[in-house]
Amino acid sequence: MNLLALHKRIERNSGLLIFGILVVSSIGGLVQIVPSIFQDSLSTPAEQLAPYTPLQLLGRDVYIRESCSSCHSQQIRPLLAEVRRYGPYSRAEEFVYDRPFLWGSKRTGPDLHRIGGKYTDDWHRVHMRNPRDVVPESIMPAYPWLAQSAADRDGSITRRLGALQRLGHPYSDEEIAAAPGAVDGKTELDALIAYLQSLGRTRTREEGL
Amino acid sequence: MEDTAGAATEAQARPARYDDRIVTLFTACAVAWAIVGMSAGVYAAAELVWPGLNLDLPWLSFGRLRTLHTTAVIFGFGVSALIATSFYSVQRTSHVGLFAPRLAWFVFYGWQAIMVLGGLSLLAGVNASKEYAELEWPFDVAIAVVWVAYGVVFFGTIARRKMAPIYISNWFYGALIIVVTMLHVVNSLALPATLTKSYSLYPGAQDAIVQWWYGHNAVGFLLTGGFLGMLYYFLPKQAERPIWSYRLSIVAFWAFVYSYIWAGPHHLHYNAVPEWVQSLAMVMSLILLAPSWATMINGIMTVSGAWRRLRTDPALKFIVLSLAFYGLATFEGPMMAIRSVNVMSHFTEWTVGHVHSGALGWNALITFGTFYYLVPKLAGRPLASPRLANVHFWLALTGVMLYVLAMWGAGVTQSLLWLSLDELGEVQYGFNEVMAAMAPYYGLRLLGGLLFLGGAVLMAVNLWRTFTGVERAADAAPAALALETR
Amino acid sequence: MADMPSDFWGGWIVVLTVTTLIALGWLVANVYFGPDDAEEIAAHTWDETLKEGTTPAPMWWFWLIFSTMIVSVVYLILYPGLGKFAGVLHWSQGHEIESSAAHYDERFGAERERIAAADVAVLRSDAAAMRAARSVFMVHCAACHGADAGGQAGLFPDLRDGEWQWGGDAAAVQQTIAGGRRAVMPPWQSALGDDGVEAVAGYVVALSAGRGDAPEHAEAGARFQALCSACHGPAGAGNALLGAPALNDDVWLYGGGRDQIARTIAGGRSGEMPAFGARLDATQIRLLTAWLAAREETATAAAR
Repeated sequence: MNLLALHKRIERNSGLLIFGILVVSSIGGLVQIVPSIFQDSLSTPAEQLAPYTPLQLLGRDVYIRESCSSCHSQQIRPLLAEVRRYGPYSRAEEFVYDRPFLWGSKRTGPDLHRIGGKYTDDWHRVHMRNPRDVVPESIMPAYPWLAQSAADRDGSITRRLGALQRLGHPYSDEEIAAAPGAVDGKTELDALIAYLQSLGRTRTREEGL
Repeated sequence: MEDTAGAATEAQARPARYDDRIVTLFTACAVAWAIVGMSAGVYAAAELVWPGLNLDLPWLSFGRLRTLHTTAVIFGFGVSALIATSFYSVQRTSHVGLFAPRLAWFVFYGWQAIMVLGGLSLLAGVNASKEYAELEWPFDVAIAVVWVAYGVVFFGTIARRKMAPIYISNWFYGALIIVVTMLHVVNSLALPATLTKSYSLYPGAQDAIVQWWYGHNAVGFLLTGGFLGMLYYFLPKQAERPIWSYRLSIVAFWAFVYSYIWAGPHHLHYNAVPEWVQSLAMVMSLILLAPSWATMINGIMTVSGAWRRLRTDPALKFIVLSLAFYGLATFEGPMMAIRSVNVMSHFTEWTVGHVHSGALGWNALITFGTFYYLVPKLAGRPLASPRLANVHFWLALTGVMLYVLAMWGAGVTQSLLWLSLDELGEVQYGFNEVMAAMAPYYGLRLLGGLLFLGGAVLMAVNLWRTFTGVERAADAAPAALALETR
Repeated sequence: MADMPSDFWGGWIVVLTVTTLIALGWLVANVYFGPDDAEEIAAHTWDETLKEGTTPAPMWWFWLIFSTMIVSVVYLILYPGLGKFAGVLHWSQGHEIESSAAHYDERFGAERERIAAADVAVLRSDAAAMRAARSVFMVHCAACHGADAGGQAGLFPDLRDGEWQWGGDAAAVQQTIAGGRRAVMPPWQSALGDDGVEAVAGYVVALSAGRGDAPEHAEAGARFQALCSACHGPAGAGNALLGAPALNDDVWLYGGGRDQIARTIAGGRSGEMPAFGARLDATQIRLLTAWLAAREETATAAAR
């Protein structure tokens, strides 16, 4: 088949041109995305992985709101130096309850995937109020307002959990009903710290790379 | 779509007027968004030098400002410039006015409203945290509607064209419209929890693959494809020479549309996604070098023979320089997509430098050049000050070079410090030490950004004076000498 | 083992990738070897001077796309990419890091084992070991204790001052690093009342200054003996087993002013050191122990 002759027809017919672009630009997605959707290893949670508690979820949503992933990755690559610095490299099964994923594309600050448990809650409180009080070289913004606002300030925790339940996260109706009570009186800072402390707990150095 | 409708009546006849008011307004908005978006970028860069500039204000903090910066420059400046230039050129290459002009105005008001409200929503912290798709679901719905309307106006105009073959710039603009629709809709699929909060339909690693398929191709079809449409119309017009090689254009176009779409997962090398996805992305990124350079050489050879005009024509100067940066960035990209190179470049400032050599050096410069050509045409009078445009040229070139060099230095330094092990196998540097090493580079980057922004402000003044007819006496003489805008 | 798709999707990936790459090659071939249509191309003018040129595609570009495609094919033969085909090299991310880890052990393993078992006093004078120890401290400890181990933020103790809340011998320090510590001082406001808190704070200040036996503190001293001595000891010398700090010296984590001490007594304190045993290996913990001992020595020497 002479593709140039075919092209003569395509460039004279806008319908064909649209169709041609659609077909050719779809191939990459059909090959890379569609099979990934059916690859169970990407959507089966790790054995010890629990869905976020209501407070952790609100904290994660604060992390999303402040675009923390602009500067912090949550993805330890399988490279020895990274594993020695941050801990075991990240596995797909550890992110199944992450919507959206927050792996990031830039490390202005350090990776946070295995930050859970590395510092105390008190450290996080000081650090969020003014990062330079504990890390003089830090250029991270201070987040003093997080301690001042209620974790669930628009009263949407049940709707948030409900949406995730519909997407298949294993929350029971009772858990969702109890959520407003569980986060009552907590601040956004409490929520964010609860989230950070939950990160990366599914694996430690003792289980290997 | 029936392409011959209307062609029978007045073949080759040109309409009395084209719809250029909408082009003018989109152009003005593009310039305004350039200033807003680049200012946000410069301020964010200053925050990395002096973190006190966050001023403990939520809406001014780096995370929120950075999303405003990327959204305003890509979708405010970039898309406004693309719609302006596509509306301008599609009419002239089809020999008809815009199809459904009122729908075109809907596109204008719709898009600008999305940008203004969306920008404010980002500052307010309404943020989906998917890179380059941060706007939340109500905006996503609105974008889809306006974008489809844009497609109807564009392809409607083409369908009514008086020329049998569709000119090549329209293939690229067409690919921009079609592929961005597909990318945007698939990537934005999410379940809303509230009016300002939604959760992605895809979990974790799958979300990553979908997001980078989108993210890389927003670069591919918007920042590359769309702007190639601009190049294929405005470069030959400005040089008054035919596109060098039609044959090369054909293969460059289809190879570009085919291979770009696979390249996304090279952002996920050594991440928790299957190796086969990464490998396919890597090899297609390598192949992508060929169509990219085909277009670059096609552009450069088109100007060849008109080099003399580079001395006097600021518009052409910007466009040719942008081609050089296009060639540089499209070489650097495939290199960074190679697995072993990516070990060093990923997560570092090198990526930021790469993006900006494309965004500043290619997208912004070609747009500036195009505007220096387009606005005098729209205003019906020569550019107010070619001298000021010349100053802009040097500010922009110095700015982008400083920026890119600083980020290369920063990226390589980061990578070396992160990965280095000492004689006992310990990771050698704490992250705080890496931060300290970044300070001079961040300072240089801020300076580069400031120069680039300063140039853009000069352009805004110059274009405004051109459009309103305010001319300084001092500029009038060289303007008459130097500029051949008709 | 690389992460592979199922049979069906593996086939899907191979078929779509290979056929479309062949189609791309076919288009390239057509562009270079297709029929000449220069005349037809030159006939169209879109906008005044806007035309398509008739230059044939240059040969170097043919070689450019040809070589990128050849490299791609070779890469997909060597590495996983085409569906379930693992590639001739059987490379995977997991294999790669396992083999780097094996190299690491080969290169550093023996030396690291020696360090893990070495005497702290010997390590302290080993320059290479101390450089490595400093790196471990920077990566894992400095965010809380400060880059100079001097403590910070009124929450994280100075590690150079010789005052070890949980014991300063090598075994105790190692246990603190690996297992973490949690110290809890209960609030005494309700037991003591405002006046009681003030009085006991005054006594503790005097104790710190070595004047605990001054007669004006006799009454407060008695309350101290009743309520505080169980943990802090009758003389306020502290108890490393409980993490109760010494009060008869001039080292204060939460502040040694009278008001600050009163606040501590009234509201209680809880201090936590996270466990690093799951993050650091035995070599790193040994290195840190030795490095901290060296810091302590340097600081005491400087103080003298």
